[in-house]
Amino acid sequence: MVSAGLLDALATGLVTGSIIAAGALGLSLIYSIAEVPNFAHGDMITIGAYLALVFNKPAAIPFLPDSVPLVGTTSLAVAGVLAVGLGATFSAGYELAVFRRFRRKDADLITMVIVSLGLALILRNAVLFLAGSKNVSYATEPVRDVFWDAYLTGFGLTIQLTQRQAGDIVTLAQWGYAWWLAAAILAATVGVGYAVYRERSAGEGFDVVHLVDPRVLGVGAGLATLLLCAYLLRFHSGVVADPLASTRVGTSWKDGTVVVLTALAMLALNVLLKTTKLGKSMRATADNLDLAEVRGVDVDRVQLVVWVVAGLLAALAGVLAGWSASNVNPNMGFSLLLPVFAAVIMGGIRSPYGSALAGLIIGLSMDLGVYFLPPSLAVYREAIAFVILIAVLLVRPEGLWGDV
Amino acid sequence: MALADFLITLLTFVAVYGLFGIGLNVKYGFTGLVDFGHIAYFMIGAYVTVVLTMPASVQGYGGIGGFDLPGLFGALFPGGALVGWFVGIACGMGAAAVVSLLVGVPTLRLREDYLAITALGIATILTAVFENEEWLFNGPFGVRSVYEPLAGVFPVSLGSFTLNMVVLGGLSVLTFVVGAFLLIQYARDADVRTQALIGVATAVFVLWYFVQPLLGGDMVELQRNLMWLFDPTAGPEGGLDYDRFFLLFSTALLAAGYWWVERTVNSPYGRVLRAVRDDEDVPKALGKATYRYKIQAMMVGSALAGAAGALYAIQLGFISPGQFGSTLTFFAFTAVIIGGTANNAGVLLGTAVFWIINSGTRFLNDFVPSEYSVQLAAARLMLIGALLIVILYYRPEGLLGEQEYDVGVDDGDAPPDRAVGGVARGGDGD
Repeated sequence: MVSAGLLDALATGLVTGSIIAAGALGLSLIYSIAEVPNFAHGDMITIGAYLALVFNKPAAIPFLPDSVPLVGTTSLAVAGVLAVGLGATFSAGYELAVFRRFRRKDADLITMVIVSLGLALILRNAVLFLAGSKNVSYATEPVRDVFWDAYLTGFGLTIQLTQRQAGDIVTLAQWGYAWWLAAAILAATVGVGYAVYRERSAGEGFDVVHLVDPRVLGVGAGLATLLLCAYLLRFHSGVVADPLASTRVGTSWKDGTVVVLTALAMLALNVLLKTTKLGKSMRATADNLDLAEVRGVDVDRVQLVVWVVAGLLAALAGVLAGWSASNVNPNMGFSLLLPVFAAVIMGGIRSPYGSALAGLIIGLSMDLGVYFLPPSLAVYREAIAFVILIAVLLVRPEGLWGDV
Repeated sequence: MALADFLITLLTFVAVYGLFGIGLNVKYGFTGLVDFGHIAYFMIGAYVTVVLTMPASVQGYGGIGGFDLPGLFGALFPGGALVGWFVGIACGMGAAAVVSLLVGVPTLRLREDYLAITALGIATILTAVFENEEWLFNGPFGVRSVYEPLAGVFPVSLGSFTLNMVVLGGLSVLTFVVGAFLLIQYARDADVRTQALIGVATAVFVLWYFVQPLLGGDMVELQRNLMWLFDPTAGPEGGLDYDRFFLLFSTALLAAGYWWVERTVNSPYGRVLRAVRDDEDVPKALGKATYRYKIQAMMVGSALAGAAGALYAIQLGFISPGQFGSTLTFFAFTAVIIGGTANNAGVLLGTAVFWIINSGTRFLNDFVPSEYSVQLAAARLMLIGALLIVILYYRPEGLLGEQEYDVGVDDGDAPPDRAVGGVARGGDGD
């Protein structure tokens, strides 16, 4: 009998980390470009999750009829897109109605902190007011977990795909890799990854701007090779008897979608920041607002875009969090706020990439912590993010990567 | 419930949260530390005091506790029980200060916004620890046995019913007279807008408190409102009951804390604190160890929050970790900002305004069907959040503005104090 182990905790952590990273991307934009330590970001995430609920399952919100006029009840995918769009619009509203006015008055950082706190109170209670404090979930098809059971035997590595169907465990597929094949695949992975890294980082200079960092590209290429080879070379059905070691990883396509969507959002943000003129003015504003204005950057427009993008990412994080946990409640954003802030500070507030990576690290360490710590300490899952943050701040107060 | 009883509950609330807010003002108003974890020290003060003064072996309590300090000291000398309680609250304040020292040492070197988020995180973790560790302070079940200092003495009766009524009632009327006198004296020097505001507030109070029972023909109610200190139902001859005593008691502790903070901020020490707030580099360049000043301000503020927590426990008679959510920190920030950041009198005014809004709208509960009570509570908090933003935008210095300091410098040949600090804080006025 196989049981879940370290790999399973890693897979769970990857999903948690992706959601945190999606929140952290938006927060770090607001933090570095608009210079607002936005305590309302958690509640912007909640709002996003509830906006999707409005289109997906209006019956869960007392004041709404059972379906929205013109739209009706829609699938979560459509509802999510609508929610992300609306979340971005709302976010533009916060900038225009509140933060732009305070910026015009040259409000200092502490004032911005308190203002965002006031906004957070308004948003969270607006949700409570309209939707009540119940836990609800989206109307979606139930997604069944697929178990990836890995066995190390004398023959080599065997991977068995199983699923629980009507109480019984059903084997969907079984792939075996002999020792030499597994070693070859691993070597190919490392080789391709390193080759891509070397190829991309050649000609390194201060004026070379990579769209995607060579290290990220190398890791990505390596992973792609691993998955491709493993899928193409699955000749043998393998052996599962007398394993030397075995482990089980439970995932579903839901988890995969969360990770892929976050990665896509990151890539899109990356393209926006690095290849467009708007992105250039955003980066210039982050560096020095006055200087950017002198050089003809329309700072107000840049700030508006920043809030729109951040609202979009926050709503995305909200929908993903609500879907992945099958639970939407008014406090979900606040419980994400601490890890998201931890990620942003840890990654160095000037760098969206740093915060996304830190978000992944924090998500992974939260679930790895739950795996390694005794069960009585598992309730402190969110505290783990914080302990890491404090440790990092003690050693490097400017964040892991400093100003990138 | 008689209006007088409602007023007494409200005033006790204001006294307790006023002390809490003054602690926050030491950190945020005078030193510029955005401590979003202020509630943690309130909680620690409440728990430590309650646990130290709790009698041994209380049923249904499985945590650390039962040290029974009042009993211990009471056996030594007469009046020892009260001394024991004071030892308890001193320990509570000390514990809060020590924890804030542990929190402050790593975090106070950080940027102000990092401090805000780390403090919030630490407070959240601490509440989770209190909630989950039953061996510590009984976990989610809380503590039901809260020692009330001097509770055995009350109700106090001075003698016959008439004597009680004359003395206590006379004192009550005296408070109204003195209050009115002070208010008039203050209003005389104020500008027209302030005078109008004071006039409207006083009129509303008089209408609600005196004219309403008068019109209703309820003379007993009117008499009870006027002689608020005298409770005819306390004891056979009437007298002073524990609720009224506790209001006086917490007001006295509030006054002590107020006096302490006033002395601090008006001293050269307080001048350094304000300089740290306005521009930390300046006092640093003058050779002040600003980091130590920040830690000390943090500890003083947390100790005051701890004292407020001890009083809060007595007022409620029951504490559990669920009562100490971060919302209370945000309420305190709102109160400080409404009344006037860096103004202790303003903090008291802000706390009063805040709790009048918060409790005063509770009568709406009678008109709204009970299934909408969540909505009503949410609407109240939305109002408070909006108020916070509006005040910060239109009047960042709060209702009263920053207080004036008795700096002890001769105006003739020395530069005024504010020249050290530079620009005023908080949104820069206009």
